[in-house]
Amino acid sequence: MCWRAGIPDRTPDLLPMRLHPLTSLAAAGSTAVITTAAASLPLSLAVIGGALGLSAVGGTLRRLLPAAVAVLVPLCLSLLVLHGLFFPEGQIILAQWGPARVTAEGLSFALERVAQVSAAVLALLVFSFSVSVPDLVAALSVKGVQGRFAFVLASTLTLLPAITSRLERIRQAQEARGLVIRRGLLHRIAAFRLQAVPLVSALVEDAAVRGAALEARGFGGTGPRTSYRDVPDPVVERWLRILLVLAAAAAVAARLWLAGG
Amino acid sequence: MSSPSLTLPSPAPAAARKRRLLEILGALAIAGTYIYLVLNQPADITGGPGSASALIALSGFLVGAVLLIVAVLPALPTSTVVLIPVALVLNIVLGQFVGSTLVPFYLDAIGTVLIAVLAGPAAGAATGALSSIVWSFFNPTVLPFAAGAALIGCLAGVAARHGLFRRFYLAPVAGFATGIIGGVVSAPVAAFVFGGTSGVATGAIVSAFRSMGDTLLAAITKQALISDPMDKAIVFTVVAVLVYALPRRATLQFLFVRWHRVLAGRNSGQDS
Amino acid sequence: MKTSSALAASIRSFAFHDDDAPVLRGVDVSFAPGTYTAILGGSGSGKSTLGRLLAGWLSPGAGGSLAGHLELAGTRLHFNGTAHDPRIDPARWGEWVGFVPQDASAALSTVRATVAEELAFSLENAGMDRAAMREAVERTAGMLGLAGLLERHPGTLSGGQLRCLAIGCAVILGPAVLVLDEPFASLDTTGSGELALLLRKLVAGGTAVVVLSQVIEEVLLEADGWIVLDAGSVAVSGAPAELMAAPERLPTGIRRPVANRNFSMPASGAAARLGSGAAAPALELRSVHFSYPATAGRGRKARATSGKAGGYQHSTVLQSIDLVLQPGEIVAVTGPNGAGKSTLLRHLNGLLQPTSGSVLVNGKDIAGRPVGDVAAYVGLLFQNPRDQLFERTAAREVRFGLDRRFGAAEAAERTAAALAAVGLSGAAEDHPAELPASGQRLLALATVLARRPPIIALDEPTVALDGDGLAVLDKAVRSAAAAGAAVVLVTHDVPYAHSVADRLLTLDGGRLPGG
Repeated sequence: MCWRAGIPDRTPDLLPMRLHPLTSLAAAGSTAVITTAAASLPLSLAVIGGALGLSAVGGTLRRLLPAAVAVLVPLCLSLLVLHGLFFPEGQIILAQWGPARVTAEGLSFALERVAQVSAAVLALLVFSFSVSVPDLVAALSVKGVQGRFAFVLASTLTLLPAITSRLERIRQAQEARGLVIRRGLLHRIAAFRLQAVPLVSALVEDAAVRGAALEARGFGGTGPRTSYRDVPDPVVERWLRILLVLAAAAAVAARLWLAGG
Repeated sequence: MSSPSLTLPSPAPAAARKRRLLEILGALAIAGTYIYLVLNQPADITGGPGSASALIALSGFLVGAVLLIVAVLPALPTSTVVLIPVALVLNIVLGQFVGSTLVPFYLDAIGTVLIAVLAGPAAGAATGALSSIVWSFFNPTVLPFAAGAALIGCLAGVAARHGLFRRFYLAPVAGFATGIIGGVVSAPVAAFVFGGTSGVATGAIVSAFRSMGDTLLAAITKQALISDPMDKAIVFTVVAVLVYALPRRATLQFLFVRWHRVLAGRNSGQDS
Repeated sequence: MKTSSALAASIRSFAFHDDDAPVLRGVDVSFAPGTYTAILGGSGSGKSTLGRLLAGWLSPGAGGSLAGHLELAGTRLHFNGTAHDPRIDPARWGEWVGFVPQDASAALSTVRATVAEELAFSLENAGMDRAAMREAVERTAGMLGLAGLLERHPGTLSGGQLRCLAIGCAVILGPAVLVLDEPFASLDTTGSGELALLLRKLVAGGTAVVVLSQVIEEVLLEADGWIVLDAGSVAVSGAPAELMAAPERLPTGIRRPVANRNFSMPASGAAARLGSGAAAPALELRSVHFSYPATAGRGRKARATSGKAGGYQHSTVLQSIDLVLQPGEIVAVTGPNGAGKSTLLRHLNGLLQPTSGSVLVNGKDIAGRPVGDVAAYVGLLFQNPRDQLFERTAAREVRFGLDRRFGAAEAAERTAAALAAVGLSGAAEDHPAELPASGQRLLALATVLARRPPIIALDEPTVALDGDGLAVLDKAVRSAAAAGAAVVLVTHDVPYAHSVADRLLTLDGGRLPGG
């Protein structure tokens, strides 16, 4: 299935210098926000180039590209078709077929949007493909952000690949029982039900066992928590994070002030 | 020898009030952002880069979604929390798969609606918001739709509480209504943040309305009114099929299901 | 004298929500520190429910309604099944009572990247400082033989290692009581021995160890006492020697070890008779080779799998397998774990295609034919029955797809016959997922039997079956064979294979001598 390519790896290749996961998150987030706020084509293009370069240096480009393509290609196509062909507000008409008019304004609007969204998407993807999820989870728990959010994130990323092998097992077991998936929409829908029911009930049942296990191991507790994994967090990075967040906030404020004024 | 306390204390009302306050704030942030965007109908949407509206849409909806998560997540029982990743996996796998086909649907809310039916509107809202945030880990374009997803989860829970999953034919009706509301709320995000839709099939529908001279927001809202109600009707039906296929012992472990008699009894109602 | 027990329970009744009949009735148990108790009972006797209640994994109120009391660490909690009942704090309860469920992998947190962190999960939640955590993790890992695996990802462990990890997670806080649900199931002799040694150590250290089991394993004979459950009540209890001396007092649901002495080839006459017959073989494998493609494509995934396989550098699983199966013949294939037994079975209906060689069913090569079509001739039963079941009642499950092939009248007849053959006629309207584990396997068997395929292939048929279930399976397999079906079963249970098969083959190093 195509989405398999899009799951970030959980064992990142080592960057020459390893940032605290929250620092890279802050960097990616503020880059995305500032690019959106600036809404300038050159900046967007620069961020796209920077993100791709950073990913290449970090050695994650080969895994990042398929995910980025899966997300961005339909979006870009959709925007280019939509605004390239139909832009009633456009004045400069380059070509016309029936109701479809290619306008200069439409094309440039589409291009700007594509660049802006791609920049934000790539900045965030560079983060998720380079971060070590265990480190991120440990950092989140230490930081007092609800350990529950960390649990949901990490558990989802663990279950995602597991579910494919589980579906495959169910499909094999059912074929061995003599179920043939025939052509046609109705048959496909019926086959979907046959596979979804055991999948979902097994997942719900496993979750019930896991819930009991985690509660018995103190997951529901509200007291102070510690972390076995040691994620170093230098003071410099703490200041850097604050700086990045302030820069993003300033960019947003500036844009809103400009728009209002 | 002093014996240890092995029982849970009753929940403190003060904490519940604080959470309620956060919930209301989150809902207000989402509603306020939507009303502002629709009333102002920023003219710059297709004229300029439009990023001021994009920023307002993004930050208003995201802040609302995050407030909802902060309010709800700590209060959920562990049995619900461990189910949320399962729901997210269902959302993401189906959503990513359907999104890559040429079907103008999303089917990315099956897990959210499942949780809402089993654990109630608050859990559903949190799951919807979490789903967008976690999915954005490898598809950042879904992040801005967090508030819309939370709304779907909340409405599904309300529908379940009022017995709309007790009769099999009512589930798609509830889904249809939920889809109308959800679609209308999500449309400004698509319009202001992306300037269009993220799928090719949905983009084609928007193009059709644009060719008739609609504004971008109007065209996307109309597209949402075509896609979303059908999509949610399908999702609600699928979830109804799934919850009735689950063993009764599994569904009845959820207090919400027991208290509000969400599902019909074994021998009454739903049976083909 | 109350203080002499680490954990005690007096259960007048316990029922799940919406169930009329209580699962447990009149159960009084008490476990003293430093004792070893086995709770025996067939599938569906209520022993897992009892175990989870004792361990606080099944909270009275949320999970069902309990009338009676539980007593732990000198605190007695009374329950009447009303809203005023105390609510157990599972975290505090878990500090005193550790529990290891049947499916050890479901007990893992799924959010920890190494075995060490998984072990430390409960310590983290208790707010222990890092140095103390490391010390506790090392101590526990040393005790369980996990010391070499501390940096591995839990997802890459084998089944036996996972069970060890789950036990480690249960004992790391040093609970006074440890409850284990079917810990010996699917462990080989070495594994059982190691686990028994570990339990002895814990008992010597003062822990009250409670083992739930549906099989009288040899290692359970050394327990201080047995409590035998039948239909939710204590049928009998006492010392193992005393109860073994009067086996008629034990319910038939409890599986006894098959006597290992009669290792003469059974029914060799039958095999010879069938072998000499000129009838066309039902199934034939001709020099089947199979190796997993040495992929370079899925980089990480391929690395992870090959790492899991450990010593297997070459990915060849089966080498020149020849096997001829006559109608009416029962053949058992045994072999150590990882020998390729399940891989062999998957070739019989085309789920896996041989790299070279051919598989002939009824004299026809099945290469390229859809599995769903071959399934009309080869009924294959997997280890995990839940993957195959998807309907709302057992009867609908068996009947699925029969209407289209045989018409309504015959479908109904076949459904009833298949359910009767596995002893589930009384459970026809039950939800498959709510049947006990043994019943689920039998139901999956019924779905295969109803189609009356000429070849039946069974993957580890004895796992999860209790005594009654095994008897039913045995009868069903023999009568299918008597009706002319060829049966192949792969199992690690050599005594059972001896007792049922006409021919016993051993798969070792990918070869099947004598096939």
